[in-house]
Amino acid sequence: MTPNQRLMIAVVLSILFFVAYTFIFPPKEAQNEKSNQVNSQSAINTQDSSAAQPQVAKVEEAVSHNISSDEKMAANDLSTLVTITSGKFILKLDTLGRISSKVLLQDKYNDKDDKHAQLIPDAGAKPLFIRFLDPALNEEAAKVPYKTTHSELLVDNGSQKVTLTQELLSLKVTKEIVFFADGHYDVKISLSEDKRYFVYLGQRPRITEQMMTISGAMVYTDNEIVTIIKDGDAEGRKTFTGVELISAFDQYSATIMYGFSKDTNIIVERDRDDNPVIYFEALKDMIFSGYIGQKEYKTLNSINPVLTNAIEYGWFTFASKPLFQLLSWLHGIFGNWGWSIVALTLIIRAVLYPLTYKGMVSMQKMKDLSPHIKELQKKYKGDPQRMNAAVMDTYKKHGANPLGGCLPMLLQIPVFFAIYRVLLNAVELQGAEWALWISDLSRMDSTFILPILMGASMYYQQKLTPSNFTDPMQEKIFKFLPIIFTFFFLTFPSGLVLYWFVNNLFSITQQFIVNRQFKNAKEAEIATHKHAEKKDD
Amino acid sequence: MFKKFLLKLLWLYQKFFTLLGYGSCRYYPTCSEYAKINFENNSISSAFYHTFTRILRCNQLFEGGIEYPLLDKLSLKPTEIGVDSIKYWLVPNKKNRFYIIKNFSFKGKMC
Repeated sequence: MTPNQRLMIAVVLSILFFVAYTFIFPPKEAQNEKSNQVNSQSAINTQDSSAAQPQVAKVEEAVSHNISSDEKMAANDLSTLVTITSGKFILKLDTLGRISSKVLLQDKYNDKDDKHAQLIPDAGAKPLFIRFLDPALNEEAAKVPYKTTHSELLVDNGSQKVTLTQELLSLKVTKEIVFFADGHYDVKISLSEDKRYFVYLGQRPRITEQMMTISGAMVYTDNEIVTIIKDGDAEGRKTFTGVELISAFDQYSATIMYGFSKDTNIIVERDRDDNPVIYFEALKDMIFSGYIGQKEYKTLNSINPVLTNAIEYGWFTFASKPLFQLLSWLHGIFGNWGWSIVALTLIIRAVLYPLTYKGMVSMQKMKDLSPHIKELQKKYKGDPQRMNAAVMDTYKKHGANPLGGCLPMLLQIPVFFAIYRVLLNAVELQGAEWALWISDLSRMDSTFILPILMGASMYYQQKLTPSNFTDPMQEKIFKFLPIIFTFFFLTFPSGLVLYWFVNNLFSITQQFIVNRQFKNAKEAEIATHKHAEKKDD
Repeated sequence: MFKKFLLKLLWLYQKFFTLLGYGSCRYYPTCSEYAKINFENNSISSAFYHTFTRILRCNQLFEGGIEYPLLDKLSLKPTEIGVDSIKYWLVPNKKNRFYIIKNFSFKGKMC
């Protein structure tokens, strides 16, 4: 076996392994996630309390103290106090005055097991949870349930107000929450006496996390700086002021709080798994707002434009955001996300048209030179560098350079990357159908038709593109690229595969048009030539 | 150190990643080769500048073709001389500068 063959086998084997692995062990099971959470729950609380005290308390002490109070809380949290129902969601408040459950009723948001999406994870800190700095008060608060007047509420249009009260020995806590049908709420927390306490943002939703998407926590400050703490990356304790919104998010959904006064101290802490936990120090009378739901641009924008900052495409947001706006605008015209992606591809190709066209034209010129090039390749066999030099010289002499150039190639990388991030993170694509068998652009094509079509179109496009390889191993890998890409794209969201496929199709079409134009021009030339010859006779 | 790291990156690129956009470069030596020679012979800032402008020029609006890198500063310190041990030929041009041209007979390590 030659080294080349061995390398090829290694590549194929590793791809097979990768594909098999993702099928057998789908990335991140929700179930595992939950059990992890239960374990880390106590850790969250201990870490928070130890760090929040002005003097650094002994960790062991804090642990023993907090685990006991935490167990009591866990026993309590089953009891639901208020249920708020709307056409789109069911939200529950528990006797600790926390949002203990929010279920989205639309089928398109269903989780992997096809159940309605639950935005609040079973374990961990829950939104609107209050923790007092005074441990004794804290322990008491964990035992005394909140009370309210209505236990069932219906929000269809407009809003509904819920008032929760907790009567402690020395203190009365009142939470006035107004729920709106669009998924956001306004809160006013008031204490009968001034005590130091903290309000929790809650754990992020754990519904969908695909490869290459980020999930974690985000702090957006008034100087337009976005700080993202990815799960597993939280370090120590950070405090922010002048914060516009805080968010804990997964791929498509988020738990957000916003609208607090500028001098509010936002604290980001880490739990045992180095995942971020956000809470803030609240005043005696605290007014703010929150949103729990899908990161849908239109919804967020209509509630409060500042919320759109919670839509995060990773470090590439600056390029992805305008691209999403364009896609969204196209959706307004076509009313179908699939066709919008096709149109977006067309627009990008149109912008790059002058460059690609010029490249294709000179490629045609090069075809005429090919006998000469072959001669050179024979002459400099085994000396690739010198051969390249000779080939370049020939191109220059004939004013033809078939190659696109490094700049267009490099330019396409960020564009593709931006599209990739948009298609991966846009919740709007969830449950969005295109045509025929594609019923959800945000999920992989279970029939594998689209990725295979993509691979086929890529192969065909490669065949149309001339290549002069000097290294036989590189040539082999190059020829295998469509297959490698097909495997990679198998698990990608259909929207992304659709973009790539359509892009290939357009480029093939463009190639054909150029080929035909050249053929016609040549025929015309030959015809006039013959005509002239006849005249001479 | 930094130079060595960059050269290693270039080597990595030339060996593997170049396949994704194979055969794009309009020039000889290719942009990556041009960058490599620049980083080997000139200062880092100059090499960055020349590589950057070269990549900007590497598109359909420019003709492409042969374009050798230029040497910034001449320093003579050969320890031994022979056709096999010379890595680059320095060919003077009209403006009193030197083209750096690869010696195809060079037998040493290329990187």
